[in-house]
Parts: sequence; structure tokens; C-alpha cells
Amino acid sequence: MLDLFHNLSLGFGVVFQVSWWSPWWLYGLSLPISINILMCLIGALVGTLVGVLPGIGTVATVAMLLPITFGLPPVGALIMLAGIYYGAQYGGSTTSILVNIPGEATSVVTAIDGHQMARQGRAGPALAIAAIGSFFAGCVATVLIAVLGAPLTKLALAFGPAEYFSLMVLGLIFAVVLAKGSVLKAIAMIVFGLLLSMVGSDIETGASRMAFNIPELADGLGFATVAMGVFGFAEIIRNLDAGAEMNRDLVQQKITGLMPTRKDLIDSTPAILRGTVLGSILGILPGGGAVIASFAAYTLEKKIAKDPSRFGRGAIEGVASPESANNAAAQTSFIPLLTLGIPPNAVMALMVGAMTIHGIVPGPQVMQKQPELVWGMIASMWVGNLMLIIINLPLVGIWVRLLRVPYRLMFPSIVIFCAIGIYSVNNAPVDVILAGVFGLVGYWLIKHDFEPAPLLLGMVLGPLMEENLRRALLISRGDWSVFLTRPLSAVLLGIAAFLLVLTVLPALRAKRDEVFTESEN
Amino acid sequence: MADTMGHSATATRNTSVAISFCLLAIAPQIFEFIWSFGTIFGWGAGRGPATVVISHATALLAGAPSALIGAIGGDTKKASSDVLLALIYSYPLFAVAILTLFMTIRSAQDYVGGIVLMALALFALWASSDLQGMRGFSFGAGTAPRMFGGLLVALGAGIALTGLLVDGPAMAHYSWRGPLFVMISIVFFALAIRPLGVVVTAFVSFLLAAMGTHETRWVEAIIVGACLTLGCALLFPYVLGLPMPMFPRFLVQ
Amino acid sequence: MTFIRALAGACLASLCGFVAPAQAQTYPTRSITMVVPFAAGGPTDVISRIVTSHMAQTLGQSIIIENVVGAGGTTATARAARSTNDGYTLITGHMGTHAASVPLYPKLAYHPEKDFEPIALLAGTPILILARKDFPPKDLKEFVAYVKANSEKVNAAHAGIGSVSHVSCELLHSILDIKPVGVPFNGTGPAMNALVAGQVDYMCDQIVNAVPQINAGTIKAYAIATPERNPSLPNVPTTAEAGLPAFQAQAWNAMFAPKGTSPAIIAILNAAAIKALDDETVKKRLLELGSVIPPPKDRTPEALATLVKNEIAKWSPVLKPAT
Repeated sequence: MLDLFHNLSLGFGVVFQVSWWSPWWLYGLSLPISINILMCLIGALVGTLVGVLPGIGTVATVAMLLPITFGLPPVGALIMLAGIYYGAQYGGSTTSILVNIPGEATSVVTAIDGHQMARQGRAGPALAIAAIGSFFAGCVATVLIAVLGAPLTKLALAFGPAEYFSLMVLGLIFAVVLAKGSVLKAIAMIVFGLLLSMVGSDIETGASRMAFNIPELADGLGFATVAMGVFGFAEIIRNLDAGAEMNRDLVQQKITGLMPTRKDLIDSTPAILRGTVLGSILGILPGGGAVIASFAAYTLEKKIAKDPSRFGRGAIEGVASPESANNAAAQTSFIPLLTLGIPPNAVMALMVGAMTIHGIVPGPQVMQKQPELVWGMIASMWVGNLMLIIINLPLVGIWVRLLRVPYRLMFPSIVIFCAIGIYSVNNAPVDVILAGVFGLVGYWLIKHDFEPAPLLLGMVLGPLMEENLRRALLISRGDWSVFLTRPLSAVLLGIAAFLLVLTVLPALRAKRDEVFTESEN
Repeated sequence: MADTMGHSATATRNTSVAISFCLLAIAPQIFEFIWSFGTIFGWGAGRGPATVVISHATALLAGAPSALIGAIGGDTKKASSDVLLALIYSYPLFAVAILTLFMTIRSAQDYVGGIVLMALALFALWASSDLQGMRGFSFGAGTAPRMFGGLLVALGAGIALTGLLVDGPAMAHYSWRGPLFVMISIVFFALAIRPLGVVVTAFVSFLLAAMGTHETRWVEAIIVGACLTLGCALLFPYVLGLPMPMFPRFLVQ
Repeated sequence: MTFIRALAGACLASLCGFVAPAQAQTYPTRSITMVVPFAAGGPTDVISRIVTSHMAQTLGQSIIIENVVGAGGTTATARAARSTNDGYTLITGHMGTHAASVPLYPKLAYHPEKDFEPIALLAGTPILILARKDFPPKDLKEFVAYVKANSEKVNAAHAGIGSVSHVSCELLHSILDIKPVGVPFNGTGPAMNALVAGQVDYMCDQIVNAVPQINAGTIKAYAIATPERNPSLPNVPTTAEAGLPAFQAQAWNAMFAPKGTSPAIIAILNAAAIKALDDETVKKRLLELGSVIPPPKDRTPEALATLVKNEIAKWSPVLKPAT
């Protein structure tokens, strides 16, 4: 315990390190500034911006900003990059809620209930609760990293290919549960997403699959491309339909209070707590952990709610819980990096690059060898979260005012922002056209009452599921029983089976009742 | 009397649905035909329009049936990709189109939705037909796509079936103006961003998209478009440091 | 300030990526774009950045790194091969993009020898044979005997088709004449994670990623596939010392220009690159990464051309096409 306080004070010492700045225009006067606080602020601001702008992802931005950090001291550079990463988690919920465009895979579920709240004129409470939930989760997760970072590493190492496969199966079951309408249609959408995720080169043989010799498809369809299409462009096209003006105007007139009411807070508190716990645990798992965390949190809320039918129609818990979960996961995903030196996702891999360029290659001993760096970063996360909530709560008012902009001006702007965002991911014009095509696909899906959220989850989890299945079978030499003989994997599959039965049974019963009532008439 | 009238109405609906399924069945062939005109102007590599028409026509009319008979007769000669497209994708959809004529569709939304999903899955099955399957205990490149493709065919059929058994909504109304102009705007953006730069592209795309609705007031749109363009030109290349050209090439040169 | 300048430079560069061929005597008159076919922060990217930052001082113009990822670096290399050959678009290629890609991708959109003018070899990262910490063999000789005896049972990890870890392990396997199961991962991070966790038995990887793990004892290294020991891992023997001299592999990185770039420009760039490699700070930073700096005789464009030729010949029998 003493160690912990010592380490944390070291960390905060690093963050609040003051240096004297004497620019020439002050004629010899010096100002005390803290470079690391400044870096943290810049990171948080850029992260919020990146999160809010549709299409532009954290990976692309961190990659773009990486060269700039080469001129900075390593601690400052990492604090800034980390700030971008979790700042984007705050910002990502904004576009999901306001215009139904999730910028990151982790904010797909936020769009489901968040945007419904916005349509009911409750965008303010939705945005505020997302920020509050994220802040709470961020604080808890920071403490968790400081206290339990090292022991939790074991969890990351206990997950082999078999466990990941089972986790991905569980994740896909979540996607079925969160569907509003027909279970059959939700499953079809997941499988459609899985098929889309197969496009590109095969991991094991390198063979090009369903890419039709288009070089831009060689590495598969980007998440941003498909998400901007089926959510962003499709939503715009749908809103342009004749007769849709009425609904839009209604949304604009109805805006009520900006801040959550007492009831909202009481409803969301347990949801935030549950989301934080789920997110903290799942975030440690490298690859896909954070995405599954937000879906798992939503599913949990829907399953334990007294009235599950509220979900998908603007339930505040459906915003609070996944937003807490994704921010908690974003923070705890630093654990494998800080304790093992192994980057769990693409953004972290870029951070390792930033360290490498400064001559620090992170490894299992990075905590002992670079305590200032590690603890400075951990302390900065808490500071960063504090900054983000201070930045984000006042912004709620501005965002909500944006909703009052007439739609005839709003939609071309969204089209342009989305197009630039998608283009910037790979500097590939083909991606923009593909997103447009997926916009038409999404429009068609809406017209046939298919939900896009399960499709996106299938697309994100598809490659992870296939890769890990094949890895597990390669290692076991084709023995399928590994998924049941390894205890963790068996437990995960058990939960998945249980959830599936729980979801499908009432649906079947309802269908049967429907058929019976019809035949009686 | 009313009943028969209603019946004849569904009959005409069914014919039009069946015809559109037939079109869907040869959509990839038509797409390649349109695409092949590009080769006349030297864009891209591919077959010329004449070759495309001849090879697809022979595949659809003669190649596929003979391959089918050959397969039954134990002839293992490898079929060409056009013949496979006809076998895997077009024929099942033609079959569905014919069946459609005899069905009473109770929910067009579900029925058409299911069949189109099925078409997508069949197309994916064709696209992954050249990939290697299982090799001993390890998956080949084609195993998973075929597995999920097959599953989606079944699910699509299931959804279509509910459209036949359970009453539900009819086809929703599609409008053309919004999708058309938004797509034109997106395609223009994609083609123009490299040669023309952010400033011109963003402004023109904004106005193109704005044509998607009759509500647009042009003076207002031009002013907002100009402001937005300025904002984008400052925000993306400068603040976020994304590499993209600002002005048209010919002007800079 | 440097922040703004870097950004302004980036914009300028993107504006001027198409001006008519410059005269060699005044070259360079504006900033140069260096395409790096891998993500920022990877070994190739880091080496390019260290070397080009010094070259920029020599040339008096900034060099902007553009990371273009995809398809094992071949997307970016194909794009660079088609760019204007005025000396303002260069590429850092490596063992994968300019040698191993030839046998791996039969439909490759470029040829390393025919579509590029070699400029200079920059630096290489040595390759190590690594294993999980409780893998039975104690040294390389035992390792060779063990994997030969148990080639049906052992699992080799690699970071994806076409990656350095994949092609170098294929070389090792062809030397040992075995075909163990190769377990593919998505990048070196996840592959290293599996090795640390003991889910796979061994892998071949670049020194940069492995040093901290070896020092911490979470994995072990049998040998380094270079002629000399590496200062960052003085206790790891070379493959020659440990009894497998045939296994020599290095992830070399080199600078190329599109075909037809004038020889005068190539000479200017080559001189600047050599000057950078001789600089003490550059040397120190490269050595910190465990890199090997080529000796003066290997730094000429001709030597690089020979290297590319030899490497293609070396990898062609080892690697089979991906499709």
C-alpha cells in the first residue's frame, strides 16, 4: 500500500512538474507552466475533436501526430497520445447520440438508445450522462491499473486462441440480444457482417478473398467505411425521404433540459457501476476487448431491466452503461502495455513506436526501469479524465444547439465531414465510394427493417473469431474439443449458450402466440 | 368481387417482383458489361464488351447446363468462372423468381428482404468458389466464407419464408432524389479530392448534396458551404495534420 | 513552432508533388516525400525517420515521411513505383517489399529490380530465433535436434504472411528441411503475447521487439542470425557459433527511387545517406535499436542492386505463392 502511494506521488510529481517559461515578449519575466499538463490538455482536446468528427479514427490521428511527438520528451509525448486515445472515447459518443453516426466500433451501441433520446429531445441528458459515466469509469479504471495492474496481466496471458474464439462467440450472441426486432433478422445481419469481414487477404495463406482484384480491398473493408455507410449516409438518405421532414422538425422543437434529471441520475448510477466493472475486466484482453465490453454492458442492462422493451427506444441506461464500459476498457487496455510491454491494439502499437523512437522499448521491466514514464502516464490519465469532463459538460449545450441547425444545411455538412474522414483513413478515394455504396445498402436495410448494429458487430468480431478458431485448431491439430476442455473457454461458451436460449425462447413463444392469435381470428 | 380484384392486384405485384428477381439474377453480368465499356477508352484491365456478352450468354444458355450434365455424368472438368456464376448465382435466383409467381406474399418487406440477402450470399459463395477448402485439419482460405455464405442463404430463405407465412408490412416507399444526389456528391468527392484539392471538392460536393432536397435555399446553402469549406481547409490539413491537397493541381503548377 | 513548420511543410509537399523534373544541379529545390510502406513506429519507419532527419540537414530541404500501409507493404511500393521519377518521391523498401514479395505474390504490380533505382542500404535489424521460456531445448543444437524430431508437434508463430517473422522462419524451416505448423498472428504484438504466454513454441523475430522480453526472462533466444554478436544482446551467440551457419537473415532496409530517376540525383541522395550513416548521433540511435549499420562497401547503389538480386534469388526457392 505504501508502495502504491509512493508510486502515485511519483506519478503526480511527473505530471505537475513545473518548468519556467520566459518568452522574449515578456521581457525577462518567467511564467510557471507544466509541460505535461499542457500535453495532457492538448491530447484531450485533439481526442475529443477526433472522436466527434465522423470517420477519422484514433489510429489514423495518432499515426499522423506521431512524428510531432518525436521532438517532445517521451513522457509528454506518451501523455499526449494517451489523451487522444481516451479523449476520443468521450467524443465518440457525441456523433452517435446527435446524428446516429458511431465514429468508433465501441460507440455503435451508444447510437441505439442515445440517438433515440436525441429524437425525443433528450440529447442533453444523453450527452451529459455519457460524459459522467465515462469520467467515473475512467477514475475507477485508473485506480485499478495502479493497484491491480500486475496481477491482472495474468488474465491477458490466460487467454489463448480457444478462449478468444469463445469470447467472440459470446460477443456475437450479445449482438442478437441487443436487437430490437426479429431474432432471425438479427442473426442474418450478423452473418452478413461476418461475410463482409471475410473480404481481403486470408491470414493463414495470404490468399485474396472476394477482393475482385481491387487493390484497396486487399486488406479488407475498413470499419469506418462500412459504419459511415450503413449508419451515416444511410441515415441522411432516409431523412431526405419525402414525408420525413415532419419527424425532423419535431425533434428540433422538443429539446428539453440540458442536464440529466434526478430520476435520470438514479436510473443510471447502477448502470454506470455495472458498465465500469465489465469494461475494466474485458478491456485487459488484447484485441476486441473494448468492443465486446460496450456490447456486453448493453446486453446486461437489457437483460436485467424490469422492462426490456424500453431499450432501443431511448433508455438512459443504454447510454450510461456502454459508455462507462468503453471508457473503462480504454483505460485498462493500457495494462498489457505497461506490465508486459506488449501493445494490445493498433493505437498502443503506435505508442510503442513513439517510445522506440526515443530509445525506450517497453518490456516486462518497463515499470522498474522507467517508473517516471509509467506512473506519470497513469497519473495523467486521471488528470486527463478530469479535464475531459470539464471540457465536455459545457460542450453539451453547444452540441444540443447544433441540433437546431436546419436539416437542409446540416446534412450536406455531415456528408462532407464523413467523406473527408473516410478519405483520411487511408488516403484512398475508393474507400469514399465504398462508403457511399454501403450508404445505399444501409438505406435498403432500413427499408426492409434490418438493423445495422448487429451487422457492424459481426464485421468487427468476424476476423477475430475466424483467426482464433483457425489458430486454436492449428495448435490442437484439428481437435475441436479444446473449446470445451479449456475451462475458461468452456465457461464463456456456456454463458453464450445460456444467453442464446434465454433470447430465442421468448421470441419463439411470442411468434407462436402471434400465429395462434391469427388463426383464431 | 372485391376479393378477386385484390387477388389480381397481388398477381401483378408478383409478376413485377419476379421480373425484378430475374434482373437481380443477371445483375453481376450486366454490371460487368457496363464496366467493360471502360476498356474501350483504355481504363482498367478487363474484357471488352463483346467478349463479356458472348461469354456470359454462352455460360447462361449452354455452358452451365452442359457443366451440370457433365457433373452428373462424373466429368470433373473444371468449369470457368462465368459458368460457375451462372450455376451458383443466376440459376437459383431464376428458380426463386419462377416460384415467386405462384406464391401469395403476405409481407413483401420480409420476402424481398430475405431473397435479396440470399442473392448476396449466393454471390459471396460464387466469389469464394475459387478459394481452397479444408486442408487436412486446418481451414483453407475458402472454408469460412463458404460456411457463412451457406448459413446466410439458409437465413435469407428463412426470412423469405416468414414473409410468406406471417402478415407484415408491404414494401416501403423508396424516394430517388435524396439517394441520387447524395451518391453523386460522394462520387464527385472521391474522384475530385486528389486532382482538385479540398477547397474546390468540399464546396462543390456540398452543393451537390444540397440538391438532394427541395428544401434547399440556394443563397443560404452557398454561404454555409463556403464557410464549411474554409473550416475544413483549416481543420483537417492544419489542426489534424492530415495530408491532403488544398488547391487544384493545375492552379498550383 | 516546429509543430507548425512540420505541418506547413507537409502541406507544401502535398501541394507540390507534381512539379516538372528538377535540374540535378539545383536538386533538391523543395521538400522530398519518403514513402514508408509500414505503420508509423515500426522498425522500418523508425530507421527511416532517424536517417532522413539527418539527410534533410545535408540536403537543405525537409523530407516528409508518408506512411502507407497495406498488403505487406506492397500497396505502397506499387504506388511509389508509379510515381513521378523526379527525385521528390522516394521509398524505404525492405526485405519483404523488395525481395520476398516476388515469390510470395505472383500478381505483384511491380518488380523490385525493374521498377526502382537503388539509392542506398540504410540499416538492418538482425533476426533472432526465440522460444517460450519453458521450451525444452537449452541451446541451438538441441533446438535443431528437438524440432527435427518433433516437427509434427511443435508450433511456430509468425506475424502474418509476408512479414519478416514469417519469411525468416520459412528460411529456417527450409534449411532444417522440416514443415512444422505455422500459427499466424496479426502483427508482432499478438505473436509475442502468445510466445510469452507459452501458447506457441518458437518464432523468428526482429531484435527490436525481442530485447526487453529476453532481458526480463519471459522468453529465451537461441541465436542471432548475423555474422557478429549484437551489442544489445552480448550473451546471445550467432548462428555460426551455435552450429547453424547456413541460417543468415537480416531485415534490411534500403532507400529506392522510381525507375528513371536521373543518376545525378541518385548520387546526391546516396552521398547524403552515407553522410547520415557516418554521423555519430545517427549511429548511436540506430545501435540502440539493435540495428546493424552496413560497412562502407555495401552502401553504393550498385551494391544495393546486387543485394536485391541476391535476396530475390535467396527467397524464391524458400517461399511459395500465397494464392
